[in-house]
Amino acid sequence: MQLRRVITVLIMVTILVVPFVAFRVLPEIGDPNSAPNSHVTDYYIEHTISECNSPNMVTSIIVDYRAFDTMFETTVMFLSGVAVILILSNKPKKRDDMFRKFNPCTTNTGPSIFKTVNKDVMISIIEPLILIYAIYVLFHGEVSLGGGFQAGALIGMTYLLDVMVVKRKDRDIFNYSLERSVSVAGTGPFIYAVGGILGLIGGGLFMEFEAIPLPIEAPELHSIGILIVEVGVTVGVMCTIITILKAIMDRVSFDDDND
Amino acid sequence: MINAFLAQDGIYLLTVILLGLGLAGIIVCNNYMKKLICMNIMQVAVIFFFLCLGQKNGGTIPVAMDTIIHAADYINPLPHGLMLTAIVVSLGTTGVGLALLTRIWERFGTLEEDEIIQVKGEDEV
Repeated sequence: MQLRRVITVLIMVTILVVPFVAFRVLPEIGDPNSAPNSHVTDYYIEHTISECNSPNMVTSIIVDYRAFDTMFETTVMFLSGVAVILILSNKPKKRDDMFRKFNPCTTNTGPSIFKTVNKDVMISIIEPLILIYAIYVLFHGEVSLGGGFQAGALIGMTYLLDVMVVKRKDRDIFNYSLERSVSVAGTGPFIYAVGGILGLIGGGLFMEFEAIPLPIEAPELHSIGILIVEVGVTVGVMCTIITILKAIMDRVSFDDDND
Repeated sequence: MINAFLAQDGIYLLTVILLGLGLAGIIVCNNYMKKLICMNIMQVAVIFFFLCLGQKNGGTIPVAMDTIIHAADYINPLPHGLMLTAIVVSLGTTGVGLALLTRIWERFGTLEEDEIIQVKGEDEV
């Protein structure tokens, strides 16, 4: 215990002293000619409309210039959902079950949360607005601010709100089984890869959206490719959030379960 | 004076302090849930650090407009793109961490480190 405190103080002192030496090496904040702002990013900024037909540079970087990178980011999300299911998939041992019965969740944290929230406002007004915003963010991701990750997080958020607001017995209406949610989460990277393979079919490279075999001009093809990829990312992120939430909620008991 | 300090090196100092707080929390905290929260704080510090690097004086958001053509007038979009994926991956790591905590809770009935070590010692005897 004492050693812990000593190590912590040492780490904090080192971390606070090192900057005064090392900050001279780091680039100056706000300098347009500093190293991180000068090499490749000027190319991205100047060519984003002519090459990707996407005014939003962040979208054009993550799903067009670096699309291969983002494909595996989405796969990492899916794999984390699978990992959560695998960790929580065993049956608890009998001995541990006994242990759990001796230690039930007894801490009283006030009234149940679904009693304190107005369901009419939450479900019929706020959640549709969140969903509309999510769809807007998804389909306008290449034109204005937004993108697939944000849309997926927002749609996953509405499910989370539902779970928080509705009591456990009534959840069957919108319940999404674990197997289904994880398989839909796997569809996300698959849609993404299909977007890449469409370029191969047209005779181009993987993720080369200009080669998609459709009778449209090249700038529009970029928009279509970006949209396919964004839909894949959205589905992957959304269902991974739902998977993690459901896997943990199925396993844990809460004090308001029986209310 | 404080504005000038924050505009130059001070913002690096603040992110580094945040990183140190997360690291210290991981070492000091006795509760595994708090350790997980401190890990998230560390990730946020790294994200802030990268976003600092992308800043440009007088730059606007990285959405191309017809009236602005110079690259120096847009802030650097590359750190934003990289950190967007980092945020999502941190969500995945937090989910896996929570699943592990659930298993620990089922096995030991607690998340305090010293109590877990005690229960484990009783099991072995």
